[in-house]
Amino acid sequence: MNTPPAFSFLVCLRLLLAVLPLPGQNLLKHDHQLSSPLTSNLRLKEGLWLLDNNIDPYTGGSFHHSPLLLSVFSTIVPPLPIIWAISDAVGAWALLRIWHARQGLSFQKGTRPNVENLITSVYLLNPYLLLPSLALSTSTFENTLTLLALMFASQGKVSSALLAIAFAVHLTSSSILLLLPILMILVSSPVSHLASPRPFHGNLKRIPFLFGEFTLYWLVLVGAACIITGGSWSWVRASWGATLTLPDLTPNPGLWWYFFTEMFDHFRPFFLMVFSVHLVIYILPICIKFQHDPLYAAFLLIGVLGTFKAYLTLADPGLFISMISIFPEVHGYLRHPIITTLLHLHAALLLPLQHVLWVSEGRGNANFYYAASLVMGMAGGAGLVDACWAGMRIAVGDAKEWVEEKVDGEKGKDEGKVVWWEVVQQ
Amino acid sequence: MFSMRFQLLPQACLLLLTCFIAWAVGSSGYSAPAGERVADFFGGHDSGSGHTNNWAVLVCASRYWFNYRHMANALGMYRTVKRLGIPDSNIILMLADDVACNARNKFAGSVYAEAGRHLDLYGENIEVDYRGYEVTVENFIRLLTGRVDPSMPRSKRLLTDDHSNIFVYMTGHGGNEFLKFQDQEEISAFDIADAFEQMWQKKRYNQILFMIDTCQANTMYSQIYSPNILATGSSQIEENSYSYENDNDIGVSVIDSYTHYVLKFMEGINKTSQASMQDLFDSYDPVKIYSHPGIRSDLFRRPLDKTLITDFFGGVAQAEAFPLQDIVGSSNHHGNDPTPPTSRKPDAPSVPVALSPTVVSLPRLTGETHAWDNRWKEARKWTSIFVVGCLISWVSFVR
Repeated sequence: MNTPPAFSFLVCLRLLLAVLPLPGQNLLKHDHQLSSPLTSNLRLKEGLWLLDNNIDPYTGGSFHHSPLLLSVFSTIVPPLPIIWAISDAVGAWALLRIWHARQGLSFQKGTRPNVENLITSVYLLNPYLLLPSLALSTSTFENTLTLLALMFASQGKVSSALLAIAFAVHLTSSSILLLLPILMILVSSPVSHLASPRPFHGNLKRIPFLFGEFTLYWLVLVGAACIITGGSWSWVRASWGATLTLPDLTPNPGLWWYFFTEMFDHFRPFFLMVFSVHLVIYILPICIKFQHDPLYAAFLLIGVLGTFKAYLTLADPGLFISMISIFPEVHGYLRHPIITTLLHLHAALLLPLQHVLWVSEGRGNANFYYAASLVMGMAGGAGLVDACWAGMRIAVGDAKEWVEEKVDGEKGKDEGKVVWWEVVQQ
Repeated sequence: MFSMRFQLLPQACLLLLTCFIAWAVGSSGYSAPAGERVADFFGGHDSGSGHTNNWAVLVCASRYWFNYRHMANALGMYRTVKRLGIPDSNIILMLADDVACNARNKFAGSVYAEAGRHLDLYGENIEVDYRGYEVTVENFIRLLTGRVDPSMPRSKRLLTDDHSNIFVYMTGHGGNEFLKFQDQEEISAFDIADAFEQMWQKKRYNQILFMIDTCQANTMYSQIYSPNILATGSSQIEENSYSYENDNDIGVSVIDSYTHYVLKFMEGINKTSQASMQDLFDSYDPVKIYSHPGIRSDLFRRPLDKTLITDFFGGVAQAEAFPLQDIVGSSNHHGNDPTPPTSRKPDAPSVPVALSPTVVSLPRLTGETHAWDNRWKEARKWTSIFVVGCLISWVSFVR
């Protein structure tokens, strides 16, 4: 496969990072910004240990991973850091392939290597993605599976895309948001049509069949998970139910946990419903508005997930930020990229600081930390809104300035200039 | 094809039924009924006293330097009950506490209970809950009955329930049906009896041991009328209780005779002791004590030789150790541990730390009895991996 030089270099670097004993790796594993109760490596190891000792990992209430992770990591390979490095590399490769498919390029060498180097670097060197991967958080796998699904969809490989998104949905149920855009990409094309929107031209009649195929793959995965748990369904409540019922209120950079620490019990179901529905209500509007470019719709929904997800970690906004590199056409139309960047910088510096201040030193309290996560929410929201704007603005096109001199026919005098702008569709 | 299917239907139903029966029988025969295990645990294995926690209320009702021995009495009892396992949170110690730092105390910060001054009862680790002028009759009765001001901190409350055994010890100057509190007021035997009756009505005790060391002590428990109270006193009516010995350097009497002999008996008791209250009462020697100690057991429903000393003086926790295989059915880790959970070790039923070093797992639900068995675990893991692998390869190569 033809990959830019930066790819090989950065992948080697990443593998080195995985293999060398880093001094702060234990600290990273415990960090709440990098892993949540649903993705934490410590809990994964605990679940594996409980499985080894013939105890059901799902009765304790601390293990929220999928049973398939249990079976993979206890049979084929233990949870070594090299797996996360390989997953990162696969994700970067998938992002490159998405870029190629979007540009309509086949495997040609030498086509804009600078851009490809940039895309690879933005994914592999993004601290929001690198640090959770070094912390061995399973969000790396979720991101990689999402990118693989988008890659296969962009390449038109129907079953592979549906299998990848079935895997992703099996690991985190929030990824269901991306199902509709992926189905739309599969029946249309990933090539950029942002600048020239037109009604959805794909074959809508295929979508139910594709959805049926997705459901079939998903059911097989559920069946495989039930096999390892021996027919018990407690894992459903522990893994997907955790996103819906929020049993664990460990602080994370997301917006949910603080609400639910202070909520009266009789309001809890209502607000859980509201927060979950809030994620789902973005699907149809974004897909309808961006029906001419479903890949961009998928990108925007990844942004929604990266801001409003239940158990947020830094890896979720990280994917959104890295994916913006494959949409260079909108970069010129972003209104406030600097503000978004600064908000992210602000949040990224404040979050660990306030966490240490609150939890370790006891000098702050939860409000300090939640304020920092609100800044993170603002940063995510600013990025999302800006990307939405740019995606729509590019369709409006550039303005061409016309100047006309207005001449008074009767008197022949110059009455002044009239300036107007005509918008030219590109 | 469908007709063939319908022909097989009764056989399929029969097969399903036999499977179900086999599963039901297998899952039901596995664990001992939960009710029996709970009853075993709370019923107690040693004396059947039915208590789950122990409290002690130790009251020294005197103040001033010349009543040093009463302070030493109470502190000696405090040390004993602490040594036998009752934690500070379950001990209410009421002392005037004006002896250890008294200007007359040559050994400042120390209180001794014997002439050679070998054991400092005051030390650095005692918790006095009511000190000084807080030791009043009103506070004592409020403490017992639980009718305290809302601002009273938890450490000064008697937070007992109906499974608590309470050891109430009082010492000071007393007379015929009264006890003098700090030279200012008196508490009568009727007050104590009524307080105990209030406790009984409010279910604030399981059993009480009431021990009192004053002059004419036995009169103080003569009016009690609530059940499950065992009482003992140091001297009869019209009889004084005497001190045991003086220390020449401290200059006053350091311990009372009755309490001294009770404490001496207690030094031979440790947490695992099976000595009964009858043994304690048998050890009373009126000649040595110089008075006739009394016992009142008509309100106490259990035989005294079956009642352990540690039922009142100790804070003994009972732990049951269940071997792992009896719960999970796996002999993976500790195969040579065959004792079933209902067997009791006859020599030490109240060993405070009795957990065997197995992984104590959660009790299984009957529906998942076989879910995590070792035999099938590996098979299930590999089967699920196989299924997923098949799916991936089918999608990659066929589709």
